[in-house]
Amino acid sequence: MPPAGIPPARALPSKESSLFKEVLHYYEDRQLKKGLKAADSILKKFPNHGETLCMKGLILTHLGRREEGLELVKQGVRLDLTSHICWHVFGLIQKGQKNYEEALKSYTQALRFDKENMNILRDAAHLQTQLRLYDGLVETRHTLLRLRPQLRQNWIGLAVAYHLSGNLAEAKTVLEQFERIVKNVPDYDVEMSEVLLYHIRVLEDLGEYTEALTLLDANAKSRAIIDRVAIQEFRARILSKAGKDEAQQAWQGLIEQNADCYDYYKGYLSSRGVDVDAITDENRDKALQSLHDFSQQFSKASAPLRMALELASGAKFAELVQPYLETRLEKGVPSLFADLKSLYRSPEKRDAIESAVTALLSTLQHPPTVPSPPDTDPTEYIWALYFLAQHYSFLGNHKKAIELLDEAIAHTPTLPELYMFKARVLKRAGDPFGAAKNMDLARTLDLQDRFLNTKAGKYRLRAGLVEGAVELFGLFTKKDAQSPSHDLEDMQSLIYLTEEADAQLRNGNLAMALKKYDAIHKIFDVFEDDQFDFHGYSVRKFTVNIYMNLIQWEDTLRSHPAYVHSAIEASRILVRVYDDPKLASKPSSESELSSAEKKAKKKAKKAEKKVQEEAKKANPNATNEDKGLDVSPPKDEDPDGTKLLQGPDLLERAVKVLKPLTTMAKDNVNVWIAIYDVAIRRKKYLQAVQALNHAHMLNADSPELHIRLVDFKRRWLSLSEKPSEDASLATSSAILKLLPDEVSVEVFNSQYLQHHSSRADAILAAAKVSRTLGAPREEVEASLFNALNADTALAIVAFLSEIRSPREEEFRTACQGKFELSTLFLSPADLAAARKAVVQKDPVAEAVEDKAETIS
Amino acid sequence: MSLRTPSSRVSFAAVTPNNLGTVRKLNSVLFPIKYSEKFYSDIVQPDVEDFCQLIYYNDIPVGTMCCRVEEKDGQAKLYLMTLAVLAPYRSRGIGSQSLQHLIDAAVAHTKPKITAIYLHVQVSNDDAKKFYERHGFKETGLYENYYKKITPHDAWILQRDIEAKAVEVQ
Repeated sequence: MPPAGIPPARALPSKESSLFKEVLHYYEDRQLKKGLKAADSILKKFPNHGETLCMKGLILTHLGRREEGLELVKQGVRLDLTSHICWHVFGLIQKGQKNYEEALKSYTQALRFDKENMNILRDAAHLQTQLRLYDGLVETRHTLLRLRPQLRQNWIGLAVAYHLSGNLAEAKTVLEQFERIVKNVPDYDVEMSEVLLYHIRVLEDLGEYTEALTLLDANAKSRAIIDRVAIQEFRARILSKAGKDEAQQAWQGLIEQNADCYDYYKGYLSSRGVDVDAITDENRDKALQSLHDFSQQFSKASAPLRMALELASGAKFAELVQPYLETRLEKGVPSLFADLKSLYRSPEKRDAIESAVTALLSTLQHPPTVPSPPDTDPTEYIWALYFLAQHYSFLGNHKKAIELLDEAIAHTPTLPELYMFKARVLKRAGDPFGAAKNMDLARTLDLQDRFLNTKAGKYRLRAGLVEGAVELFGLFTKKDAQSPSHDLEDMQSLIYLTEEADAQLRNGNLAMALKKYDAIHKIFDVFEDDQFDFHGYSVRKFTVNIYMNLIQWEDTLRSHPAYVHSAIEASRILVRVYDDPKLASKPSSESELSSAEKKAKKKAKKAEKKVQEEAKKANPNATNEDKGLDVSPPKDEDPDGTKLLQGPDLLERAVKVLKPLTTMAKDNVNVWIAIYDVAIRRKKYLQAVQALNHAHMLNADSPELHIRLVDFKRRWLSLSEKPSEDASLATSSAILKLLPDEVSVEVFNSQYLQHHSSRADAILAAAKVSRTLGAPREEVEASLFNALNADTALAIVAFLSEIRSPREEEFRTACQGKFELSTLFLSPADLAAARKAVVQKDPVAEAVEDKAETIS
Repeated sequence: MSLRTPSSRVSFAAVTPNNLGTVRKLNSVLFPIKYSEKFYSDIVQPDVEDFCQLIYYNDIPVGTMCCRVEEKDGQAKLYLMTLAVLAPYRSRGIGSQSLQHLIDAAVAHTKPKITAIYLHVQVSNDDAKKFYERHGFKETGLYENYYKKITPHDAWILQRDIEAKAVEVQ
């Protein structure tokens, strides 16, 4: 910094000036206490020195005194608005708070006063990447390269920036220049190898195949590229794209290295003019012949055999599938059905598989009470039964599946897969309690199998037994964790959080459900934050290829099914509570604490206390410990989620969780329905109609959409004051298309019912609409009784209970008759008993109670 | 059929608290007898792990054998409490392999040194008696009223002496 330009308020006498340099030095070395002391002694004389105040604030933040630190930094910035140090410090703090937008603003300020500060430029580049501000990123990376062209990473940084901003041609130019000037590359240099592969990828993406191949071959030969597999894969792929004849040989070479990689076979076949995703009768035989030859050459590989099943048809398929099934059943491959399930899209293949396994089974059949015939294998018989049970359950014949499984269990009662699948069949048939019980039987056969444990816990959640489930999960979670739930949340277990949230929701505990959905959203926030460090790391370490994949993945992060599901459900809860604020205060029957729960709560509290004490003990010197700049998650002040249901911002929170879905899951009807439900309550009419239009384009017949259309029309007509003219016009013309004015809502509803009179879910939707339109209860009931369908029946029971129908019981009984295996239509009392029966001390021990002789 | 020989399909694993559920399940279908909790807590002790084993066929548990060590007058004997294989898996030599596995383990055991294996067989069960006699066991007595509730009440006592480095008796 030129001394001439120093403003008087910043200037320090030489003693303090050198002290300040020490502060900076101590901070760099993380000697926080010494740094603090030095800062204090400057402030004693110059209490209004902005830069020192900022440095002290920064050090305090590192020491864990965050609020105090932040206050000092703000004060410091105010006192010296033209200091790059002050703004830099402020930016660092904001970055630690994950407030990237504000941090970037501070960095921009800092750069105004120190245009060529490498550290600030680099940090700004990372923030720009995180915020996807690629034009600014290119500029920043340019500056960095101009300042330090001798640093290799600055070249790569600029190329990546161009690539991200969509300017591949410039990225290519930068890489070419870099390769021209780079000198003294050691042999077998991993970094250079990565850069070259990246360069080739850029050329490939640009469609410059010949150039790409030349570069690849030259550097493969000179051994500048050291990843041999990558060389082969790049080569085969680019040759294929370029339509070169050598492609076939390249793919063959890859298959010889790894005969179980489907992509290699796909590439090989495509180089021979066969597109496996669009096979024709002309090239089918050619493809099958190739696969056959490969399977002869690599007798251990499964891929060519399995792929042939995909491509074959008719008699050829039957001929191929039989040995495939037999060898795997004999070997005992539990995943065989999962492997073949995708073939069931073709009814012809499905039937061929059924008859092959049935025929095989008849040769193996033997009673479970005598030794099996010496020329058969009893385990093959079991696996065949297991396969067929999966087959029939998949086709909806759950009774047959249970028969087969019971036969297998009588024969070999020690195979966990049999109980697991029985549990699954019962679940599908609507008996979550029997399902949970059978999954627990499987679990007790092998307590150290975490997969079985997780499944058993999940099935308990499906049966509404949240506590019982957490108890099981606790057998495998960290022992010193505050509770199993906390540990699973720390481990970012989306499946656990989703299942528990759903279970809480089914149990009517909206607060806990919302809390768990909220936890899922937070995990996705963390996923998003996690990429930050890689903006620096990947460029520095030249791991660019994989980094580009990461960026792509992060950009579509929230299309993950767990996020989509939990966002929609959370929004539904918020809307329900908005409509009926009593839901937030009224404790649901399920959430009243039993004595066992109270005990568990006390225990959790104790454990928490212990953890805290131990943490303290482990760190007697806590005052000098660097706690970093990242804000750690605050303590859980709301353990049962009740606060989440309160507040004036319910709908705004729903908007926030739904927002990413408008791009990430725009093909999901339920997304638009949820968006409508929020928008209409916020009186955003245009937005609401747009959501309905989206839903209409995706599925014009959707029952949920039908309910919303009528809902919108009624709300719109009853508006005493229409919104401003432009929006109003657009809205009414949009709704006209979906629900014309000349049709009354009543007629619209009965038309809908007529068009979909065979669909139970549509009948329910129409019944709901006629109820809101004031139809008498008897009429609504009568229409519902026409809709006996397992998927919708449960929803109908819920709706009948909501309108206090006296015929609810009658409907339940009718359902029970129709869905014999299901336990979901039991009366509330019987349901509670069934749930209780799931958690037994020891199911096996109970089963042998009736033995006469006891040996001690 | 594959090239695997029958013996390569049979394997063993010690009974542990984790797989005890499988042992319970097997016992519940294999024996007309209810075993006490003490039985189950004894068989998972580390000092008998060589003698309390699950028997697997093609990686599926199909049988179990459990012994306890009895020390008297400075001599240690193995008492075979249970040995059985699920019905469909019988007549394939699994029982013989298992008993041989047990005898080998007894021979190899040093602390304490095992001098004999003995067991009880209900007097109606000729097949079982013949099976043990084929493996070098001899009838050494009759235990009257061994069974309280199932008939016949009496049991033979069968015993096989163990000598260090004993040659296989087949």
